Amino acid sequence: MTLPDNFSSGPSPGSFHRRGRRRTLVLFINTVVALIGGGLTALLSAFALRPAVSAGTRWVRAGSTADLRPNVPVPRVVTVSRMDGWYRERARTTVFLVWDGDQTVRALSATCTHLGCQVAWHPGDARFRCPCHGGVYGADGRVVSGPPPRPLDMLEARIDPTDASVRVRV
Amino acid sequence: MIAVLDWLDARTGYRGARRVMLDEPLPPGTGWLFTLGSLLLALILIQLLTGAFLTLYYAPTPDHAYDSVRYITSLGTGRLVRGLHHYGASFLIVAMALHMLRVIAFGSYKAPREITWLSGLALLGLVLAFSLTGYLLPWDQRAYWATVVTINISKLAPLGGELVAGVLRGGPTIGALTLVRWYSAHVIFLPAALVLLVAGHLVLMRRNGISGPVRRREGETTPFYPGQASRDVTVVLLVVAALASVAWYGVPALEAPADPADATFIPRPEWYFLGLFQLLKYFPGEWEVVGAIVVPTVAAVFLALLPWIDRGPERDPRRRKLVMALVMMGVAGVIALTTLGWRDRPLSAAAGWTMREIGGRAFVASAQCARCHVDGGMSDPLDGLLLTRGAEWIAGHIVDPDMIGPGLRDAPTIVHEREVAAMAAYVRRLSRQPYPGFAPPVETAAAVFARHCVGCHKIEGDGGTDGPDLTHAGSKHDQATLRRWIIDPEGVDPKAEMPSFGSRLTGVQLDAISQYLSSRK
Repeated sequence: MTLPDNFSSGPSPGSFHRRGRRRTLVLFINTVVALIGGGLTALLSAFALRPAVSAGTRWVRAGSTADLRPNVPVPRVVTVSRMDGWYRERARTTVFLVWDGDQTVRALSATCTHLGCQVAWHPGDARFRCPCHGGVYGADGRVVSGPPPRPLDMLEARIDPTDASVRVRV
Repeated sequence: MIAVLDWLDARTGYRGARRVMLDEPLPPGTGWLFTLGSLLLALILIQLLTGAFLTLYYAPTPDHAYDSVRYITSLGTGRLVRGLHHYGASFLIVAMALHMLRVIAFGSYKAPREITWLSGLALLGLVLAFSLTGYLLPWDQRAYWATVVTINISKLAPLGGELVAGVLRGGPTIGALTLVRWYSAHVIFLPAALVLLVAGHLVLMRRNGISGPVRRREGETTPFYPGQASRDVTVVLLVVAALASVAWYGVPALEAPADPADATFIPRPEWYFLGLFQLLKYFPGEWEVVGAIVVPTVAAVFLALLPWIDRGPERDPRRRKLVMALVMMGVAGVIALTTLGWRDRPLSAAAGWTMREIGGRAFVASAQCARCHVDGGMSDPLDGLLLTRGAEWIAGHIVDPDMIGPGLRDAPTIVHEREVAAMAAYVRRLSRQPYPGFAPPVETAAAVFARHCVGCHKIEGDGGTDGPDLTHAGSKHDQATLRRWIIDPEGVDPKAEMPSFGSRLTGVQLDAISQYLSSRK
């Protein structure tokens, strides 16, 4: 479409008064657009970026002493129930319980500290081995060889009176 | 900065584009009545933005849709975003109706703007399709039943109504496929069509120019920006402020989860469909198709043909009496039907807690639900539990808790089926409303009623029909008579068919139930 020659949104050669009015209107329009746009942007960003709720920890039963053997790591699957937004997740994770045969138990996470694969216990040479990149840990979780940067994670664990529980992040 | 913008302009020509957008020449006398188009554009943008962001949290499956909407509403920002989207739809419909009435009153659809008018009507249809499809998404009772009604209306369409209904449902019943289908229409197909149609509408509007005041005035044209633009922006500001405060103070409704088996729910459509809803009540039996299909179709065809019915060059509404009278009658009809539909509102059946629901509380306590349903436990505590399951699921879960999570729970407790029903009713009620607390004798009476009486007797509409309704038991008998009756019915009336409960209830239970019944006048 064509516009008349004298038609332009640029400053027109009108009086000083008209130019002042124009400037006021432009300021008003820009303010309202900024107000509504800014408000919506702030609200929608806050909605989208919703910071993660800080995770807590919880004691979860991991079995009874009848399931354990003294001084041998026994894998136990613990189920942790937590809300993931609107979804109730029942996350299952494996921990190795090492019981001293009395009132003390240690819990090692089965997650390799290298890249997160699940390690397995090999009773033959009393080692944890990671199937992914050959990480090897001793029975106490310390790195024996391979790429893992640190020992297997320890979880808080307790026996009360015959139930073994571990403290897991939820 | 200027240099950068010059560089950008040299490559994109954005300044020219901006000038073309904003320097639209407007006829003299264009004023406040011509701000509605910009308002609609702003409201549509808000719908698109809030809608897009709502999809971050929404899950279109029957198992999760309700949970996800409830989750959105539980977030502070989510409640606002959903509020803007929910109430924004109503604002959009009202603004559209006003825009359309302005166009009709000013005869703006007349040559050469007939196609602009038709594209506007198509946009109206599109917005109604948006509200219909969006309505189902929360998957609550209201959504479910409104959709049942909509789809059944579509069956009335001549030639292939069943086919239309099948396509809308995506299968033989309303369920997962319906939900995904409507979701996909609501967030992909309809928005795409909307953007194209809005663009077309605007291009046509710019091509033919706006119609301006009904009488052509002398004077120069003025550019849209900033004069008319500041009027538009003022209206947008006021309406958006109103919408924001409605969203701020209001909580968009979310009823109980969809339950196809629930016969107590009274479905009602959103207010802008109330007129059509009311219209259906006046056409009995086979005439229903008139109210459901014929009247709306005639209205739509009339609107579409308006530019050809009302053909002369005259645009002044005072000189187009026939057309204005017809349109006014239509408007009055819609307003009257909507008002009638609004007022014709049956009371919800279950306002207070029923005896079965109250009684369920005692059974829940004895069934040790709290072993798992406890703070920090395997599941959330029952108080405030966000429940989406139907009664059958809950009953199954009570009878065999292991059912939904093998290895997680203790062995099932054996409970009577009536206790199960009462527990399910209690838990379902509790997820909508906190327990208000009742006097211990009432709780005891409720447990007795829910376990022993409810099979044959009704109180306030809940219970069996073999025995008399006990809602007003106290108006006929005193406590002593009722107590004797419950202990030994045949001792009071030799023809009584009711079994004796003297040996099944304790003294405390007998006192509680007879006292409660005698208090029901």
